[in-house]
Amino acid sequence: MERNRQAMKTREITVGLVGNPNCGKTTIFNALTGARQKVANWSGVTVEKREGRLKHAGASIRVIDLPGIYSLTSYSMEEIITRDFIIDDRPDVIVNVVDAGNLERNLYLTTQLINIGARSVIALNMFDEAANKGLVIDSDRLGTLLGMPVVKTVGTRSIGITELLDRIVQVAQGADETARHIHIPFGDDVEAEIRAIQQKMWEDEAIGKRYSTRWLSVRLLERDTDASKKLKAYPGHETIMEQVAKSRAVLERHFDDDIETIISDRRYGFIAGAVRESVKKTAPRRVDVSDKIDRVITNRYLGFPILFLFLWALFHLTFALGEYPMNLIESGVHQVGLAVERLMPAGPLKDLIVDGVIGGVGGVIVFLPNILILFMGISFMEDTGYMARAAFIMDRVMHTMGLHGKSFIPLIMGFGCNVPAIMATRSLENRQDRILTILINPFMSCSARLPVYILFAGAFFHDQAGTVILSLYLIGILLAFVSAKLYGLVFFRGGSTPFVMELPPYRVPTIKSTLLHMWDRSSQYLRKMGGIILAFSVVIWFMGEYPKSPEIAQEYDTRISALQSHNALVIERTRAGGATSETIEAMRAELDAKVESLEVERISRAKRNTMIGRLGSMLTPLTEPLGFNQQMGISLVTGFVAKEVVVSTMGVLYHAGNGAGGAQQPIDRAIRRPEYGITPLSAYTFMLFVLLYVPCLATVVVTGREAGWRWAFISLFYQLLLAWSVCFLFYNAGKLLGF
Amino acid sequence: MKQDGDSTGSEVFFESTDLSANMEDYMETISLLSSRNRVVRVKDIAKTLKITMPSVSAALNKLREKDLIYYEKYGFIELTDQGKRVAELVYRKHSFLKRFFGDILRMEQGSADEEACRIEHHLSPEACRRLYRLVEFHDAEHGSEREWTDQLQDMMEEGPLNELREGQSATIVKVLGDSPLRKRLIDMGFRKGERITVIKYAPLRDPIELSIKDYRLSLRVEEARDIIVRPLEHRRHRRRHGKE
Ligand SMILES: Nc1nc2c(ncn2[C@@H]2O[C@H](COP(=O)(O)OP(=O)(O)O)[C@@H](O)[C@H]2O)c(=O)[nH]1
Repeated sequence: MERNRQAMKTREITVGLVGNPNCGKTTIFNALTGARQKVANWSGVTVEKREGRLKHAGASIRVIDLPGIYSLTSYSMEEIITRDFIIDDRPDVIVNVVDAGNLERNLYLTTQLINIGARSVIALNMFDEAANKGLVIDSDRLGTLLGMPVVKTVGTRSIGITELLDRIVQVAQGADETARHIHIPFGDDVEAEIRAIQQKMWEDEAIGKRYSTRWLSVRLLERDTDASKKLKAYPGHETIMEQVAKSRAVLERHFDDDIETIISDRRYGFIAGAVRESVKKTAPRRVDVSDKIDRVITNRYLGFPILFLFLWALFHLTFALGEYPMNLIESGVHQVGLAVERLMPAGPLKDLIVDGVIGGVGGVIVFLPNILILFMGISFMEDTGYMARAAFIMDRVMHTMGLHGKSFIPLIMGFGCNVPAIMATRSLENRQDRILTILINPFMSCSARLPVYILFAGAFFHDQAGTVILSLYLIGILLAFVSAKLYGLVFFRGGSTPFVMELPPYRVPTIKSTLLHMWDRSSQYLRKMGGIILAFSVVIWFMGEYPKSPEIAQEYDTRISALQSHNALVIERTRAGGATSETIEAMRAELDAKVESLEVERISRAKRNTMIGRLGSMLTPLTEPLGFNQQMGISLVTGFVAKEVVVSTMGVLYHAGNGAGGAQQPIDRAIRRPEYGITPLSAYTFMLFVLLYVPCLATVVVTGREAGWRWAFISLFYQLLLAWSVCFLFYNAGKLLGF
Repeated sequence: MKQDGDSTGSEVFFESTDLSANMEDYMETISLLSSRNRVVRVKDIAKTLKITMPSVSAALNKLREKDLIYYEKYGFIELTDQGKRVAELVYRKHSFLKRFFGDILRMEQGSADEEACRIEHHLSPEACRRLYRLVEFHDAEHGSEREWTDQLQDMMEEGPLNELREGQSATIVKVLGDSPLRKRLIDMGFRKGERITVIKYAPLRDPIELSIKDYRLSLRVEEARDIIVRPLEHRRHRRRHGKE
């Protein structure tokens, strides 16, 4: 024993956290590990894997947070992950977090843990709430009945955490008196069949070494496909499966019911017994206000107005309030750029650092305020329990698109910015719902696209500009609808997932959990997405600057100086002709303007000669059928970085000033010049294209990170294809109709 | 407690009237009207049955040919003795069928009446006799401790979860289907005999908020359809009489 303990001190104890959704598992995890956690994904799937380390009583402990599940079967990714972890990684201890106020359902999972033979400790969480409900729980008695220590905890106030750790270490060292292996009795008939199956399994020793044969037999009886797949690895599986089929037939005939029902009935029977012996119900200490709140919040008439008010507030907070820090960040980045510019000698390296890297960093952190505020709001909604109600109210509408009620919030946030919106899809538990919501999010026209609309709608539609812009938003929503259906048909043939969503009681959120949530998301954004976005922006910046074209610069230099001397000559001659000084001034201004436009032309030519410019020109065969001229094509290519860039690129390409040049036309007038050949039809088509094609680099990266790169590419391809075909149809139909 | 509906002569309606469904309706109406009013006119019949006067006249002519009524053009209508017998027969058949739907199948009075109208002309005398025996059996059992019809009623009230009203509680009878959803629900405690309450429907009537064990859950209506429940308190309409 002593030696054993000594050994334990040096070896790390691995602990897996298992529990139902909403039982406070995350809170317990945070209470155990604090901020010492790292987040990854379970291999091959986009389910989050959290890990943390700590020391307690001389032992070092590694805690792994497993996904929230109701049952240890294999109907969902989360269940399979948890189960494989328990079987394959063999953690030393499982901490089963149980909601004390909802004991029976939470203990169902416990019975499965007992069945699988995992050494467990129960964290009887939300003990405060249970006490308020008037439940008096004898945790020692419950522990004896279940054969595992039960520790009362209140995760939000870190109560019971030390004792929980004590018990974890004890169980890991095999020194806990309560911990013993018990069997959930399934009744004589079932037990007899289980034994018959076990008998067949014992013929192959390897099976017993790897799995608890009792557990495997029950799983096989319950028609668990994953279990039968596991069994296939053993030569004797055919005879075992024969026995299983026979036993199942016997039992189902005997009970006139299916086997899952029979077994789950026995489990709940066992739980009911244990609860009866260890829980007393007394008068509730506090009245339950949850129902009263709910009566208002999901009220038939008030439900929607309240939801929209909430979202409006969230949207404003995120994007209007977020604008101040964003401006600060932008000017800060600008200042840094200026400082570096002053310090460094001129040259390509300086350009790279100042415009490429610092600009790129600015492009990454500019999203931070949005992300912070949005996740504060979302954390608030999740912790209070409002998120589930919002989904409850909206599900009817979202379901018609094959989406989940919880898809609504990320979609709305997409109108502000798709990057935090896509990150917000984490609220969706189901993978399919999440991916679908991510995929259609770009069709929510984000605020960065608005400047493009304002420019073109203002220039070509004047009084109807508002209507035109509104129509674009609506088309976006419509196509999101259509795309959701389409994606559903092609990739998710299984149909929509059921809406078995728990509505947790309303709770007061804690500042700690909100802050942790905000910190978590922001640091993840910076660590996992920031780098990629930065790298890409530098690459694209480079493509937009290089190759430099000295011939062009030279050509224009000569042309400009020639023009200048020519101008001087003309003015001289006019003056000699006896013109008034006003005429001369007017003439000088006119001639200066010519020079200036030559200069702008030079920049524009240089731009066209860069890689991006050439790419834009190369794409002419693709953009021409949509009625776009070359400048439009190029600005669409640069717009891949961010939509704001579309307008500034156009400014450069259309020789328009930004107001400072004086002699140049403002861009909205410049693009209307007849020689560019933009008609209202092609202007609208252009806006349509901006609406539909990839929102920005950051969105693609976030999609790749959140849904997987495969989906990022699918969505990229789909959006480009859709944008092109819709615009092609629209433009040509418009032309046929004579616009 | 025996009612006049089952008194002597009741066996008579196991005979066929040899009349079409329409004609039986006419006989029933005439009998009804003549018990209510002093005289019966074509106009009254047309109004009661919502049929035009000419069609009523045509039908009446047919009934006269069968010697079931006295009827002269523009005059009053009266049943012959033979007619009275037939009308009585039709009427009794209707009222016992109405009791069958109302007292045994426990439908609401209004719908029981409608169902009786729908079925009465189509039953063979044999089926009539057997159904009547069932009603008699029920009456004879009446007064015993727990009537089999009460048990039957519980079953009659079983239905999908989404038919419960807000605030109504029920016990689960079974979860249909063979979907992952079913397994999930079973794991979450949806088992036979478990009490479940519909807390509310979402503003757009879908999904439903439920309370089961100690927690709240939402389910879509289409999913709730597969959960068969037995309401705990239901419309108890225990009136048991043939005539009102
Ligand atoms: N009253 C009370 N609330 C708790 C306790 N533990 C967690 N919560 C709250 O329950 C909600 C859900 O907790 P969370 O850890 O996110 O649950 P998870 O889904 O299991 O990870 C949060 O609002 C927590 O603040 C507790 O012991 N007592």
